[in-house]
Amino acid sequence: MRPVFAFLLLALLCFASTKSESDFEEDDSDDFAEFDDGNFYAEPAAKNADSFSGGAGSSRGESREDAPAKEQRKPAQNVESDEEDGLVEDDDEFEHFQDEEEFEGYDGGDSKDPPIDQKVEPKLNIPNIPLHFRTHWDSYWMEMLMVAGLLAYFANFFAGKAKNARLAQLWFSTHRALLDENFALVGDDGKAENENPGLIKESESLYTLWCSGRTCCEGMLVELKMIKRQDLVSLVAGLMRPQLDQAHIKIELTRGVMDAFVFAVGTKKTITKVFKEYTDLNKFCSLVGKPEDRYNVPTGFGVLSEVPEATSAILESRVITALNKYQSYIDYLHISDQFSGPIQQEEGGTLKQPETKAVLLAGFNLPKHAEMETIKPLLLLIFYLMERLKTYRMSKEGKAKSDKNRQRVEEEFLKSTHAARAEAAAQRREDKRKQEKERILADEDPEKQRRWEAKEQKRQAKRNAPKMKRLAVKSL
Amino acid sequence: MSMTVDPRRKEKINRYKAPKNQGQSGSANEDMMPDYMNILGMIFSMCGLMMKLKWCAWFALYCSCISFASSRASDDAKQVLSSFMLSVSAVVMSYLQNPAAMTPPWAS
Repeated sequence: MRPVFAFLLLALLCFASTKSESDFEEDDSDDFAEFDDGNFYAEPAAKNADSFSGGAGSSRGESREDAPAKEQRKPAQNVESDEEDGLVEDDDEFEHFQDEEEFEGYDGGDSKDPPIDQKVEPKLNIPNIPLHFRTHWDSYWMEMLMVAGLLAYFANFFAGKAKNARLAQLWFSTHRALLDENFALVGDDGKAENENPGLIKESESLYTLWCSGRTCCEGMLVELKMIKRQDLVSLVAGLMRPQLDQAHIKIELTRGVMDAFVFAVGTKKTITKVFKEYTDLNKFCSLVGKPEDRYNVPTGFGVLSEVPEATSAILESRVITALNKYQSYIDYLHISDQFSGPIQQEEGGTLKQPETKAVLLAGFNLPKHAEMETIKPLLLLIFYLMERLKTYRMSKEGKAKSDKNRQRVEEEFLKSTHAARAEAAAQRREDKRKQEKERILADEDPEKQRRWEAKEQKRQAKRNAPKMKRLAVKSL
Repeated sequence: MSMTVDPRRKEKINRYKAPKNQGQSGSANEDMMPDYMNILGMIFSMCGLMMKLKWCAWFALYCSCISFASSRASDDAKQVLSSFMLSVSAVVMSYLQNPAAMTPPWAS
């Protein structure tokens, strides 16, 4: 019996020791869990260890710090990972102060020690407040500047907007009578019922007016492009590069009213710009050298001409007089039967020539001091030009030249798109063949399929055959 | 230059059609300013929000103001509004995170 008893005792001891070890490990792991959870008790726990090594903590503060650490251990032993730990602890966090067993032997010491704050003044640590928390409105000068800038911007916005609207209305009221005399419809907004006939506001600096119902033309679009007075940044930019209020007139002529030619006259700067920009001017016209001598246009003006005869017919004495008189107000005049807008950058995708229209375009500068009456005759000039285009007919040579030019341009276009068109045609053929194949395969007649395959083979052979023949000829 | 006969023709009236190529194809008359400002404003707002650069947020606000001022009547008002909101939120957020006065980019 004795060895059995001894063995049992040994087993019990072993069990007890392993259990305490595992407890310790559990404790440790939970300590880390606490560390992970909140970091709150990491420091107290360390102090706790210190106090154990250095003897009993004497100050109240230390014992307070110890207590939560001890409390932490209790739930940690039996709760694996309970997240509501903190809540439970909060409830009985100070319970241990009432616990007799917890403070055994401390009562006497505590009562003897005088409270700290009676002897020594508490040391208050005042952290350095960052500079910016002290309200110094002076330091916000940048923000004030920004807000002031915004206010100035908006003040200018409303002022500029009102001025642009006033100028546009002034232009319209000045020309109203003349427009009414010439067009059956003046001012249209494009809606089913013309709700507000008059100027349409496209943006704060762009107003448009549509007029229609006149001989020789389909319609006239007037665009009043004002200086962007509503935008302070543009105004400042305008100080470096002065701009002017402009009126752009676009008249779509009825097909066949005018003879086929392209022509433009205007300030040299604008003429060089539009020469590069517009397809028709670029393809049909050439810049006339010394236009002052040839056509008597005022100095500083340039002429783009396709048929010299037509150019001189347009630039006859009355037009030249008007150009001289209103030199500062005329930006450009552009007459074309081949107008297709600005040059398109992506030529690759277009296989068809762009649609062309017969147009009369004009750009006028508006007078600086809102004296709209001074430019009223310019609209008369436009109507006069329209009538002139209607009556003017080119000579046979002129017509032949313009026809030749149109043919040349078309050929050039076809040449430039030849590769793309060939590719498109091949693609179309291939698609057609594929469709046919699908149709045949869908058909449940094997005889038909066989026939189609034979035909297809024959076609392939035929395609390869001439090459072979040519080779044979060469070898001979 | 005076007209002797009445040039008006009621039967030739065509109604106004808004140009089709608005917004696409960089035509000469197209004003791209609002679009550029919109994009610039968005970039500045993002910089202001992400990198906590106050001057970026302010610039974004200015950009959206310019975009608003030069936008066309036919443009989508929502776009301008959202650009505004984004830039305002960039300013507000940057001051909520750090109420310190702005330091200009050249001072830091």
